[in-house]
Amino acid sequence: MPTLQFSSVSEFLTMGGSYTFHIWSVYLLFAIFISYNLMQPKLVRRQFIREQKRRALRDAELSLQQSKQSERPTS
Amino acid sequence: MWLWFSKLGSPRWFYELSSKWLPWLYALMFVMLGVGLVWALLFVPADYQQGQTIRIMYVHVPVASISLACFPLMAIAGTITLVWKMKLADMVAKSVAPIGAWFTGLALASGAIWGDQIWGTWWAWDARLTSLLIQFFLFVGVIALRSAIESPDAAAKACAVLAIVGAINVPIIKYSVEWWNTLHQPASSISFDAVAPNPPEIWVPLVIMILAVYVFFAISLILRTRNEILQRERRAQWVMDLVARDQQK
Amino acid sequence: MSGDIRSEGNSNYELQQSVSTWTAFCATLKRDLLIAFKRRNDLLNPVMFFLIVVSLFPLGVSPDPMELTRISAGVVWVSALLASMLSLDNLYRADYEDGSLEQLLLSPQPLYFLVLAKNIAHWLISGLPVVILSPLLAYMLYLPAEAYTTMVLTLLIGTPVLSLFGSIGVALTVGLGSRGLILAVIVLPLTTPVLIIGAKAVTDVMFGVPLASHFALLGAILALALVMSPLASAAALRISVN
Repeated sequence: MPTLQFSSVSEFLTMGGSYTFHIWSVYLLFAIFISYNLMQPKLVRRQFIREQKRRALRDAELSLQQSKQSERPTS
Repeated sequence: MWLWFSKLGSPRWFYELSSKWLPWLYALMFVMLGVGLVWALLFVPADYQQGQTIRIMYVHVPVASISLACFPLMAIAGTITLVWKMKLADMVAKSVAPIGAWFTGLALASGAIWGDQIWGTWWAWDARLTSLLIQFFLFVGVIALRSAIESPDAAAKACAVLAIVGAINVPIIKYSVEWWNTLHQPASSISFDAVAPNPPEIWVPLVIMILAVYVFFAISLILRTRNEILQRERRAQWVMDLVARDQQK
Repeated sequence: MSGDIRSEGNSNYELQQSVSTWTAFCATLKRDLLIAFKRRNDLLNPVMFFLIVVSLFPLGVSPDPMELTRISAGVVWVSALLASMLSLDNLYRADYEDGSLEQLLLSPQPLYFLVLAKNIAHWLISGLPVVILSPLLAYMLYLPAEAYTTMVLTLLIGTPVLSLFGSIGVALTVGLGSRGLILAVIVLPLTTPVLIIGAKAVTDVMFGVPLASHFALLGAILALALVMSPLASAAALRISVN
């Protein structure tokens, strides 16, 4: 059965004293790596949907104007 | 069989299937990552030689081992692109390249940080690190080629050729770097094989972490591929419907 | 009437067949060499570049003979690699611009051999002069006398590989506007095994290490490159030109 390796929180945070910076910087990079690679596609997706919506809106307005213009000469 | 194959090649089919998979994959990843990280950070006994820095291994080894899988995967996707002209395969190939560069980059960085403790220097021309570095350059080359060619179709094929050539070269590079290095640095081994004879409390969390990172790799690959599908099929009716249904501002 | 057309088609077909692959191979090789000899710069530039890069190292590192001896093998090899890289663009660029590359792709002979002929021509123009000049530069870098043969031999086996691998990169990028740097980014990582083995062979011979494995590895890479790389170049050319 695995046992807890640290007797206190501060001991855990300093990783037993030596090489605190090394260990935590690797885990920090890992966290950045994971969160970036999960967030970036989400942002790209959101951007894409926003753009497509804008385009759809513009197309709709354009076709409305065109139909108005085509109505005018007849009225 | 062929029906299944052509169905698999349909981006829409993949998009809808992956929508069902993603929640499960997320759940699996968070559970395994949680267990693996807590175990690696809190419960793994300090190594008698490396002390607490053994904990770096639980990031470095999974990331490095999966980074090695990216190039073959890209080459397989490239082969499918060239032979069967399957669109989905190229979308996967395009998505793998930046992920592979990220994995290789993190493997290099964590290797360097670990190296500072093991060798007393941030960078050593260790065989594994060197071949990772060259693999990183190969990924950069593929990404650069992809962004340089304007026609998506030509870019797909060109990158497929480069991926296949690179995948044939990766083992040669790895072998030659190892062969080159043997004289200078005999066995500063921090390798996976060195871990194997260790007791289960060392390698079980490692296996969990490797699996967790594999699931993470799958998720990020699926996410990027889905974006690629949306981008390329943006004029298709089903994508327009999907955009219209979306609630966000 | 219809018989006429058919016979004409047949004779055309025979005409195409009568140009054997070997003849086409020789014709391509001869053409590329002729063009290079007509434009002296193509012939001279790689050698001059090689000369200049090598002479930069003593200026940058130190004129100390001991130090130069230590790095000489690597310097000669890296410079040869760069010289080969720099001249790669000649391989398909002009042909692409004047349309003769398309003619090459349309020809009935297997493209593999035509690409191979062009690669061999490129090596004869840019690789071989560098190999011939290398002893002079090695002398200027105080390379020990016993290492000369090894250096020339490894360059002789290694530089064709550089041309063959480089050809893939040029073929992939020939249609692009700004391709200088991207070519280097694609090709240089692929050439690392040759550089490693070639430079190590020259260094090892100074320490009396047996060299059989070095030459075996270099030869294996050359054999693999000869078989595979024109295939990849041919595929890449078809993609780039269309």
